[in-house]
Amino acid sequence: MAEPLLALREVGHSFGGLSVLRSVTFDVPEGGIIGLIGPNGSGKTTLFNIVTGYIRPLAGTITYRGAPLVRETIQQRGLQGLVRTFQTPQVFEQMTVLENVMVGCTKLTRTTMLQDLLRTPAARGQMREIRARAEAACERFGLTALRELPAASLTAGQRRILEIARAVIGEPRLLLLDEPSSGLNVQEIDGLREWIVRLNEEGITILLVSHDMGLMTVARTVHTLYFGEIIASGDMAAIQRDPRVREVYLGV
Amino acid sequence: MNPRTLLWLVPCLIVWAVLPFVVPRNIADLLVFTGIYTVAGLGIGLLLGHCGIVNLAQATFYGLGAYASAYCTVMMGLPSIVGFLAGAAISMALAYVIGRPILRLTGYFLALGTLALSAIASALFFEWDWLTGGTLGIGGIPKLDLFGFLLDRPSRYYFFVWIVAFACMAVAHNLIDSRTGLMLRAMRDSSTAAAALSIDLQALRTKVFVVCALFGSLAGSLFAHHASFVSTQSFTVDRSISFLLIPVIGGATSIPGIVVGALFVTFLPELLSKLGDIHQILFGLALVAVVVLMPEGLVGAFAKLRTRFARKGGSHG
Amino acid sequence: MTLSLVLQALFAGVTNGIVYALVGMGLSAIFKGSRVINAMQGEFAVIGAMTTVLLLTKAGWPYAAAIAGGAIAGALVGAFIEVAFVRFMAKKNASEDSFLLLTIGLALSLSASILYFVGRDGHLLPPLGGEGVLIVMDAVIQFHALWLIAIGIGATLALRAFYHRTTIGLSMMAASIDADGAATTGINVARMRTFTFVLGGLLGALGGILVTPLIAVDYQLGLNLTLKGFAAAVLGGLTNPLGAAVGGITLGLVESLAIIGISSSYKDVVAFSVLIVIMILMPQGILGRAGRRGG
Repeated sequence: MAEPLLALREVGHSFGGLSVLRSVTFDVPEGGIIGLIGPNGSGKTTLFNIVTGYIRPLAGTITYRGAPLVRETIQQRGLQGLVRTFQTPQVFEQMTVLENVMVGCTKLTRTTMLQDLLRTPAARGQMREIRARAEAACERFGLTALRELPAASLTAGQRRILEIARAVIGEPRLLLLDEPSSGLNVQEIDGLREWIVRLNEEGITILLVSHDMGLMTVARTVHTLYFGEIIASGDMAAIQRDPRVREVYLGV
Repeated sequence: MNPRTLLWLVPCLIVWAVLPFVVPRNIADLLVFTGIYTVAGLGIGLLLGHCGIVNLAQATFYGLGAYASAYCTVMMGLPSIVGFLAGAAISMALAYVIGRPILRLTGYFLALGTLALSAIASALFFEWDWLTGGTLGIGGIPKLDLFGFLLDRPSRYYFFVWIVAFACMAVAHNLIDSRTGLMLRAMRDSSTAAAALSIDLQALRTKVFVVCALFGSLAGSLFAHHASFVSTQSFTVDRSISFLLIPVIGGATSIPGIVVGALFVTFLPELLSKLGDIHQILFGLALVAVVVLMPEGLVGAFAKLRTRFARKGGSHG
Repeated sequence: MTLSLVLQALFAGVTNGIVYALVGMGLSAIFKGSRVINAMQGEFAVIGAMTTVLLLTKAGWPYAAAIAGGAIAGALVGAFIEVAFVRFMAKKNASEDSFLLLTIGLALSLSASILYFVGRDGHLLPPLGGEGVLIVMDAVIQFHALWLIAIGIGATLALRAFYHRTTIGLSMMAASIDADGAATTGINVARMRTFTFVLGGLLGALGGILVTPLIAVDYQLGLNLTLKGFAAAVLGGLTNPLGAAVGGITLGLVESLAIIGISSSYKDVVAFSVLIVIMILMPQGILGRAGRRGG
């Protein structure tokens, strides 16, 4: 069996004595779509924060592309291709849609402060490249008509797409989507599902957290978190039949 | 450059070029100070408007620049350019060393941390009189000599100071427009999301702090060669506060706003001083009024007013 | 360095520390109640002291009445600031920075007003308990310093009792912890904020009055006291007024150690450096998390 892109082993965490994750172990295979479900407070977002470096876990190990992730900062993990979105979309409100996407592209280019201050040809070239790439991404994600609008004026669905476009332009290997369907209407969720499938087909591995059982059917394997523990794993059909999951979700 | 920009830029330039020859000497002198304060204020504006950082330590770097110029030219007899470069190098090094730890603070803590820094520097300027001359100061700083052309009158120095100021404005504009500027604005809007996109917040904040210190030091050196005399009174915490007021009053995100702010803090006290000793109270109250009534500064308030009028005009037409 | 000089310096440290503590307690009370860092807290001290000086020398009031007048002046200015400015800006959801700039502007205006109306000269108040001194192992301790320490401790205990025992103190605590929750139980949150400014003004003025027999008060004193008070409050954990008392005395002692170890002229440099280092390394203050529960 090939080595997984991301492997979690016995990951545990607690806040002030309250245990929020207990020996969580699972793999994210390269090229896969892995889902995480679980009721509010089951530890899904904490797990995201741990993988992307916002929180350091108190127990367990995380391996990414065969190497352990320990002291790497959020930024370093991002440069290695680990990119996340947020439960409430975090767009740069005072910047335009195009500028938002351009920010996602800054990590692919390098300029020194001095080059930027003096607007050297190199700095201008980089800026042109960033702009061109961002324009292409806007085109691709259907944001071209909105691109000069400030991000603050977007609807929830548009913000979600913008956030994904901004993440994808940075060429992630593993894209972590945190509740991408919250605040979206049925049509927008369908569009989102298509995007997830298409990005996956292009080679981006996806770790998806969601409440939405319908959206979750895109995942090949789904893990159910309940009070910080994985209580069931399998494809969506198996999960829906699982008696413990039914008990947790439906109370039967 | 589009024709509309030219339409206001050309008259502005003409007024700028003619001004020192038609105004009395004391006004020309104030205009020189406006230029110097614009340079110092630009750095604070970059920090405030694009990083959300309140820097109350600019008088420190202004002082370092001024003392470096004074010490190098008067005590060591070196050419003026050495003073400029020494001040810049020392200020940038200090800003880097202090900036790394202190910029980990945020909000009030950062603002008051920089204020404490200014208070420390001001005490040290006073104590290290072997270097700074203490309250007696250092006098006899030579006027700048530009390839044999002596800048000994305000009307001459005016052009030199303002060309430096315009160059600094261009540099600041470049920065805002660049890849770095993009990252700065992202960081200001949401630091969490900026981190997720691999933007190194700490390094970026430190770099802008260093640029701010460079501007501060440059302004200080310009000041030393203008005043011919520097002493501790010019680099107190009060000076740091009035430097902060420049972007606050003018509008921190706009470069012309910095010039407006610099005009405000140089000319308003002078105009009010005709009313007698009460002018300092009025200056304080004017500041309070700006903060309370125009949170985006004078330029922001003006822009708002203009859109309101434009809308009215549109509904009639 | 003789033992008596060390003793003298430490005693001076405690005395100054209590003044920083009073200013810091006021600053911390205001921050706790309104989330505003009051950059004119030192100005309250100047107003209190200056009013007392004027009532005593110009109006001929008895000393005790003049002190009461000074303290009330501080409280009234506090109330005025809240009602006239802070309330208006809070309604517009002004940012942290705007509040900081507002109070800086007010500090400039007040300091300029004192320069204009009172003048440039420094003023001293007569020491409490007369000119007498106590000699302990050759260290000279003024009676006034003993009074200052006693009043400082008394004020700290009174503040503690106020927050824990009185209805209004408890309401202020409730409003500071959870404004919406407090509002639903019928607490007038805006009024509570006014009270915190009154309290902050009162404590600042008291600090100013107590220090004036030792240091002449003039229009420039405010900024330094604001920074020292802020350092005291940060050492104590910022949201804990009683922690500020501990922070103030610690700061005073650190200063006196700096005087013994380096030179009296580096006292401020050391105090402000400590402030910066503590903010970076111990943002919860020297009492840590435990300190947050008090007050």
